[in-house]
Amino acid sequence: MPDNWGFVLLAYGLAAVVLIVYWRRLVRRERALEAESQPAARRT
Amino acid sequence: MVWKDLLVERRSKETLNALFFFALLLLFVFQFAVGPDRERLAGTLPGLLWLGFILTGLLGLGRTFVVERENDCWEALRLTPGDKSAIYVGKLAGNLLLMLVVEAILVALFGIFFNLDLAGVVPALVVVIGLGTVAFAAVGTLFAAMTSQVRARELLFPVLLLPVQAPVLLATVKATEAVLLGEPLGSVAHWLKLLGAADVIFVTVGVLTFDFVLEG
Amino acid sequence: MFRVVGGLTLVALAAGLVMAFGVAPREVTQGNVQRIMYLHVPSVWVAYLAFAVVLVASIVYLARRLDGADRLAHASAEVGVLFTGLTIATGSIWGKPTWGTWWTWDARLTSVSILFVMYLGYLLLRGMIEDPDQGARYAAVLGIVAAFNIPLVHFSVYWWRTLHQPPSLMKPGPGTMPGVIVAALMVNFVAFSLLYIYFVAMRVRLLRREAEAAA
Repeated sequence: MPDNWGFVLLAYGLAAVVLIVYWRRLVRRERALEAESQPAARRT
Repeated sequence: MVWKDLLVERRSKETLNALFFFALLLLFVFQFAVGPDRERLAGTLPGLLWLGFILTGLLGLGRTFVVERENDCWEALRLTPGDKSAIYVGKLAGNLLLMLVVEAILVALFGIFFNLDLAGVVPALVVVIGLGTVAFAAVGTLFAAMTSQVRARELLFPVLLLPVQAPVLLATVKATEAVLLGEPLGSVAHWLKLLGAADVIFVTVGVLTFDFVLEG
Repeated sequence: MFRVVGGLTLVALAAGLVMAFGVAPREVTQGNVQRIMYLHVPSVWVAYLAFAVVLVASIVYLARRLDGADRLAHASAEVGVLFTGLTIATGSIWGKPTWGTWWTWDARLTSVSILFVMYLGYLLLRGMIEDPDQGARYAAVLGIVAAFNIPLVHFSVYWWRTLHQPPSLMKPGPGTMPGVIVAALMVNFVAFSLLYIYFVAMRVRLLRREAEAAA
């Protein structure tokens, strides 16, 4: 049975990319919201 | 409730004609798509039949609450005193009747155009179609209420309904296949039990959650 | 708090990787391709966990109208769809060298695909209703319907695939697996569960902040 490391890498690589992209999306949206609320807070 | 029944009946009559026409057109499409190859046709017949039921069902059920929305009757429905699930059951019964009539017509047409010998299998067929249609109508009525307000309702309704119907469709096609081959209902008892369970589950969930759908 | 959970998650994921590649042996019949299972099986577990949470949160929301329950349902559905997609992708990638085809309508892939489309529809519904209260209510109803459909999907697809068909390579699940493989699976189960909790917590917090900002 050939080892097919290519497929293993593909699977793990894909999983890593998807999860990291999702995580970064969450973090980015969180930071954007914080930036929006900051100026308002400082004004009061 | 009487007012609602009248409403259901009126809508059914005008919808029925359009659906009948649509069913006829589907038959033509199926014939052109699969007809020429006689053998393949025989194998796919149960699937095509249910495809026909579902496509017509999507058209017919999708409009369940559109009349209410358009005529601002939605508020009237919301403010009806008493158990709102009665409205759901009423609509469900209406939809069920509508679908069963259309399905009966489709089966007859299928029999004629594709030369099927349906003589002995009608009772068994009735059981299978009945069980499957209840599940379809139960979820369809609920989802129709939910999507009636959304702007892209013609898109969202089938998108929500079809995945939920997947197991029911599997069961009905398998059971219909057996019935059309002349096998006894007992041979597909497990599929029928699944359909029965689906019916109970979907109607119950519909009855219990309709109140929440009607609120807005 | 989040940093702690996040850190723990990273550690667990790292441990999972070590187990999957360092500790677990090369599988006898399938070769190293089998290692994809350490991704695929925990993903599917997380997906089911996520949708179970959606069910409970949906019921709680309808019963008590707690906004937190609504946010939890939303977040869990989103993360669930994410992991369901991953399950399908990893299953497909595993399938190519194993069965020679990218796609096959076997019991697991078929059921998971139906789940994927159902809950994708859930997210679509939420996106399409403007009134937040109505969106929350309708999504809750859909979440309940979808969850009750899961056993129906399972039985129907399983019967469809296994009756009149030899259940050969059908279920790559536990049974008589060597202890090391089970251990590696367990570690990855834990890691993925932690990842689920971390993602959902972050998503819920984001939803809450978005709601506050809109108010």
